[in-house]
Order: sequence, then C-alpha cells, then structure tokens
Amino acid sequence: MDIFLQQMVNGLTIGSLYALVALGYTMVYGVMRLINFAHGDLVAFSAFIGLSVYAQIFGESITSLVAVITVFVFTAAIVAFVGVLLERLAYRPLRTAPRLSAVVSALGAGLVIQNSVMLIWGPNMKIFPSNLFPSTIWEIGGIVITFTQVMILGVSSVLMVGLYFFIHQTKIGTAIRAVAIDQDAAKLMGINVNRIIMIIFIIGSALGAVAGLFIGTYYRGITFDMGWMYGLNAFVAAIMGGIGNIPGAMLGGLLLGLFNAMITGYISTQWAETFTFVLLIGILVLRPTGILGETVAEKV
Amino acid sequence: MKKMLPKIAASLAVCSILAGASVAADVIKIGVQAPITGSYASEGQSIDNGVKLIVEQYNAKGGILGKKIEVVTCDDQGAAQQAAICAKKLVNEGVKAVIGSYTSGATEAAQTTYHRAGVLQTSDGTSDSLIAHKYWTFFRNSFPNSAEAEYTAKYFVDGKQYKKIVILSDYSSYSTDLADATVKALKAKNANIIYEGKIKSGSQNFTATLTKIKSMDPDVIYFSGYYTDGGLLRAQQIQLGIKADFVGGDSNDNPDYMKLAGDSAKGTLLINVPTPDILPYDIAKTFLVDYKAKFNMAPASIWSLMNVDGLRAILHVMEQSKSDDTKVIAEGLHALKDFPGITGPVTFREDGERIGGGYMTYEVQADKSYKIVYQ
Repeated sequence: MDIFLQQMVNGLTIGSLYALVALGYTMVYGVMRLINFAHGDLVAFSAFIGLSVYAQIFGESITSLVAVITVFVFTAAIVAFVGVLLERLAYRPLRTAPRLSAVVSALGAGLVIQNSVMLIWGPNMKIFPSNLFPSTIWEIGGIVITFTQVMILGVSSVLMVGLYFFIHQTKIGTAIRAVAIDQDAAKLMGINVNRIIMIIFIIGSALGAVAGLFIGTYYRGITFDMGWMYGLNAFVAAIMGGIGNIPGAMLGGLLLGLFNAMITGYISTQWAETFTFVLLIGILVLRPTGILGETVAEKV
Repeated sequence: MKKMLPKIAASLAVCSILAGASVAADVIKIGVQAPITGSYASEGQSIDNGVKLIVEQYNAKGGILGKKIEVVTCDDQGAAQQAAICAKKLVNEGVKAVIGSYTSGATEAAQTTYHRAGVLQTSDGTSDSLIAHKYWTFFRNSFPNSAEAEYTAKYFVDGKQYKKIVILSDYSSYSTDLADATVKALKAKNANIIYEGKIKSGSQNFTATLTKIKSMDPDVIYFSGYYTDGGLLRAQQIQLGIKADFVGGDSNDNPDYMKLAGDSAKGTLLINVPTPDILPYDIAKTFLVDYKAKFNMAPASIWSLMNVDGLRAILHVMEQSKSDDTKVIAEGLHALKDFPGITGPVTFREDGERIGGGYMTYEVQADKSYKIVYQ
C-alpha cells in the first residue's frame, strides 16, 4: 500500500509540472486557436535563465527565502517578456493567415529558442545549484516526500487555483473568456484583443517559467533540448483534459503524471509511453473534446 | 577525391622521406598508428608520446637485441580510410609491430593488412569485433565489456556477498551489452538477481522505477548506463530512502556524476579501470614521473598507458626470446603470464584478448575524492 501511495506522490509531483506547462498550451489555444509549439522550449529556456539569474545575483553561495523568491520572480518576468516578444514577432503577423502557417511558425520559433539556448549555454548538461531549497525529507508511514516535492505540489496548486479565480472572478478574466468565445464580438464590445493576448502570453510563459525552475531544482541536470519532452507531455495533458479548457489542463497534467508513474511502477518503463498514447487515443475516441472539453463550434 | 589527392601525396612524401632516413639495417622499427590530428588528437598524441618515451628508455640502455629501436608514426586521424593507408605505409616501412590505434574503427580497418604482412598489432579498442578474426598478429591491450562484467560479478558475489541484486541499464547498445554481460556473469556465480530493469536515458524522473525497486528491498542497485542518468538515479535513490548500495559502471566515472548527485554522491561505488594518477603500481608511478618530465603534461587517459603496456610486453618478449621474428614474438606473447604492466598484470588469450582486468572499485568520499575499496 505504501508503495502505491509513494507512486501517487511521485506521479502527482511530475503531474503538477505537466499541468503548469499544459496551462500555457491550453490558454493560448483557447484564445487564439493556435498550438504554441515553442512553449516547451520556453520552459527549458527558463531553467537556464534561472541558473544565470541565480549565479549573477547570488553567486551560487547564499540561499535564503528572499534569494529563491527573487530568482523565481526575475526568471518569470524575463520569460514572460520573451513570451510576449514571441507572440509579437512570430504569431501576430500571422493572425489572419491560415492556421497551418502559424503552427509552422511556432515550430520554427521553438527551434530558434532551443538553438539559442544551445549557443548561449552550450550543448552540455548544466547543473542546477542544490541549495535552492533545503534538502529536508519527511517520512510518513513509509512514504517519502521531499521539501522540493512539497514546494512543487503547493506552489502549483496555489497558482492553478489562483488562475482559475482570476479567469472567472476578475474583469480581465471575463475579457479573456470573451475573446476566447469570439474575438470579433469582443472587439466590438470594446475589449482590446491585442492586450488580452499579451496577458495570455505573460501568464502562460510565467507559469512555464515556474515549471522550468522546478524541473531544475527537482532534477538538477538541465539540457537545452529537454523542452521537447516536457512540451510533448504537457501538450498531451492539455489535449487529454480538453484543449482550451483551464481546469482540463490541470486535470490532464495530474492524470498523465499519475498514469505514467503507475505504468512505470507496475508494468514497465518500456511501455509507459505506449500506454500514455493509447490512453490519449482512447479518450479522444470516446470524448473527442477531451475529458472536460466543451463542444466547441467548428473553427478550422 | 580532389581533396584526397594532396593528402595521399603528402603521406607518400612522408613515406619516402622516412624510408630514406632509415636505410640502416641495424634498427628495429616499431610503428605507431594513432589519431595525431582530428577529434581524438590528444589521445593519439599521448599514445605516440608514451611509445617514444619507452623507446628512448630502451635505447638509452643500448636498444634491444643489440639494435636501436626506431619509431615510425602514422596519423590515421581516427578514420578508417586513413587507417588503411597507414597500415600499408607501416608495413612497407618494415615495422615489426604497430601500437594503436586509439579507436576500434581505425584499428579494425588496418587489422587485415598487418595480419597478411605478419606484423604484430596491439590496440586499446574495446569492440568485440576486434578479436572476432582470431588473427595471430592482434593483441588487445585493454579490457572488453565482458571483463568488466566478470569483475563486477566477482565483487558482488565474493567481495560484497550481495543477496538481492538489481540491475538497471538504459537502451543504448553499450549499456545493454554491459548489463547483459553482467547478468550472465552473475548468473554463472549463482547470484540472486531480483530485478532487471531499463530506464529511459534523459527522462530525468526515475522515481517510479526506484519506488518499485524499493518494495523489493535490494542490497545493491547496479547501473550500467551513463553518468547523466546515474547521478540522478543516485540522488533520487537517496531521496526515496532506499538503503541499497549504488554501483555504477565505468561510464558513471565522470565529474558531472558528482555534481548531479550532489551530497548523495557520497558512498557511491564506481567500477572502472584506474585513472593514470591512482595506479597503485611502482612502474606506473615511475612512468608518469618520466612522462611528465619529458612532455610537461600528464598522459591523456588510461588508454595511452594500455597501449604502452602493449609495447612493453612486445619488447619484453623480444628480449626474452632473443628474436625479432614476429611469429616467435606472438607465441611468446600468448605464453606470457602476468607480465607486470603499468595498467596491471598483462596476460593474453589465444585470440589476442587481454585477460583479467585492472578494474577497481572506488568509493566516493564526502569531498568527492575516490577511495579504492576493491581490486
């Protein structure tokens, strides 16, 4: 039983990382009907930014709560800026172009980010400082949980709940939902669509940055091409939960993490990915819009 | 092809210059075939330096069989085509033996030519295919994967007496081969392997596999893959509170392993051939001092020293048998038993494989230094 619970903890940790990244995919899709394939690489990019911010400001020696918060805030701000820049340069000029052009542009932007990371930080694995979080480990009834895991679970839940209320309770949130439903009508209602899209990219990129930093602190080794793997998994999570749907992305991420952990733990590593995609296909066959997806009007 | 011509012309020119310089018949020629330029240049130059140092020491004592030794070096650039040209060139030079090359590929490309000409060849290439032909001229001076596997099995069963063994590998051919060989060696010793698993290299999150392993309560987790995954495996193992020993194969022996595992690196057991600076033998220490004095740097890696041992064994047999006939030397080399080498005892099998293994187990200390715990 404790082994099962341990696998749950493992799965939920990685699942919340997937969920954070999936939110970036799903929000952009919800508003723009665009799969932002550069998002995964933005996540990898943020891990490297975090590494440099930390080395620049704190010289890899001092750690305190202030230091950690500074690293997270700085990194999120830089990555959010890059996200907005990405939208301006790669997506906005193509907003009226066929969807396929925008998707190709996104793939290209992803490669640009990935290769820039490689050229700036080098092709070798970089090691994240180990002292960002205390290395405390709790053992509760045979289940081991680390401080970093608690942070990942805690911070992601707060961010996700916060985002949910932001979208549903605030004026900007209402505007975002309006743009998601109908851009032209929203414009006629006096909503600045460009500004809403910018906000979407700021939020999505910042959440991705938090995920990237957690990946760095949790796994320590970061490589320029790791964004692809996290991006793909998060993309699957977003589709599973119903792309365009925010609670769906959270649910999809957590489910995917749990599912992966259980398959790896009880069946085999070799089959984990195969089963993941079988599950995805299964869900899409039964519910083409994903678990929580609404029946959206045909757009393509 | 246009680009190749100047190269060929250049090597022919080098050939004729060298041929002109060494008309005297009272020398014994030893060839070096190594990547002097290209990606493996540092390794190739180190092999060449090592050979020249040994030859210089012999010549200072009056040479061998009353003759001076002369070194003929050919740069194979670590490439098969160039290696084939080198082989012809060195054979035409009339060398008795060739030291090198560094890569298995370049060694294999030259092998047949040396065999036909009856020229001895000794190389550090670890590929299994090198001994597949069973050429009487070929002697491997390093150890293949199977040797590491046998050492590991001996250490686990006789040394540590592990009762519950977990073997992990990734999907690469090197890691799979090493894991398979280790499992085979362990089974031959009736060891109890409770789990054989694979991890996906680069996937970072190994907690699911490790949690499964935790439920089996093993004594040891052996990982045959690379340090990038090994370091994370170790860190996550400690995190999950799995008490088992962690033993890494040779590819975990890398400074980045220590960085990835962080504080968890302490207590890791690493199995590898020794790095030059911790070779325990007196001849090794003397050789390293001499090398440093002559070239003002340390040898590139253990592989140069393996090649030097190949040369030392050949020269030793020449002296013992008082013959420079390669057939006689080859027989002598096959008959050699535990010849004291820089990298450990040298013994060759009938197919040219070096028997034994200078493998050692290091325990990583709190300050990331190594302590030899088993030989």
